[in-house]
Amino acid sequence: MTTEIWLSILGLGVASYAIRLGGYLLALRLPQEGGWARGMEALPGCLIVALVVLMMIKGGTIEWIAGGVVLLVAAKTRNLPTSMLVGMGLVAGMRILVL
Amino acid sequence: MTAVSISKMSEISLGARDMLPMALAAATYGAAFGLLASQSGFSFGQSLSMSALVFGGSAQLVALDQLTAGAGITAAILAGAALNMRILLITASMRAALVNRPWWQVALGVYLATDASVALMQTAKSRGALASYWYLCGGGAFLLLVWILATSLGALMSQGIPDPARLGLDFAIVAVFVALLPGLWRGRNDLLPWSAAAGVVLMFTWMFPSQASWALILGAIIGAITAGVTHDD
Repeated sequence: MTTEIWLSILGLGVASYAIRLGGYLLALRLPQEGGWARGMEALPGCLIVALVVLMMIKGGTIEWIAGGVVLLVAAKTRNLPTSMLVGMGLVAGMRILVL
Repeated sequence: MTAVSISKMSEISLGARDMLPMALAAATYGAAFGLLASQSGFSFGQSLSMSALVFGGSAQLVALDQLTAGAGITAAILAGAALNMRILLITASMRAALVNRPWWQVALGVYLATDASVALMQTAKSRGALASYWYLCGGGAFLLLVWILATSLGALMSQGIPDPARLGLDFAIVAVFVALLPGLWRGRNDLLPWSAAAGVVLMFTWMFPSQASWALILGAIIGAITAGVTHDD
């Protein structure tokens, strides 16, 4: 088992590094204007939207309420730590009330 | 010290400071990974090496899961790599900070890239500045340090940690990404790409429930393509 673990760690480490470097090398070869540039500029937003949708699918009522409040707080304050703490506090509070 | 290196140091420390909320979220995740890994028969050195080499929470957990399920080395590597594939999109969007740097700085910069790099780029943008190379490195190095420390802590504590769900800690990572959305929103032109990204994720996870990591990548790419083929108002 221990050899198997080491090989997996090394293999996944190499693969992860190749992915990281690959993204940058790919971006170097793409045009810096027109449709490609518009796509690349929209990419971070689309990635985070996809990530949030994926995480919220698994959430229940508590997570959806807290998620909505975090979105409102973040839109108003534009402050990441504050929004995050409000969300965590809400989830913890609601779980205590429900359980 | 010259003026240049002073500003480099302040960029690094600013990046580390702006990384704090993401570091808190990563700390709970890292401790959970360390705990699970040691329970699954990983040695302390193996847990640490994995966190240092792979530096991606969900990829590490999935690879661990595949290994303990007896799926074999290839399956573990492929499953983990599929989850880390999204970092390709992140280092691609870090192009402006990396371009024209010496090779060792590019090598270091891409190594320190995670989802949290998107958050840093966003924080810099909200201040009206582009995220600089040293700012991203400072934040990334701080996150890596916290990640490795949290993994060690989790690996050393075989039992007796409080249930993170009771403290709402498991929601920290969700809250970070939800809180990023208002800042990432650039106006009505984003409506169509964002809807496309969300729609693809919903559709794909509904059709292939066990392929969440591909749903994520496909959603992000189709959203970006939508932005590329539509014209700004």
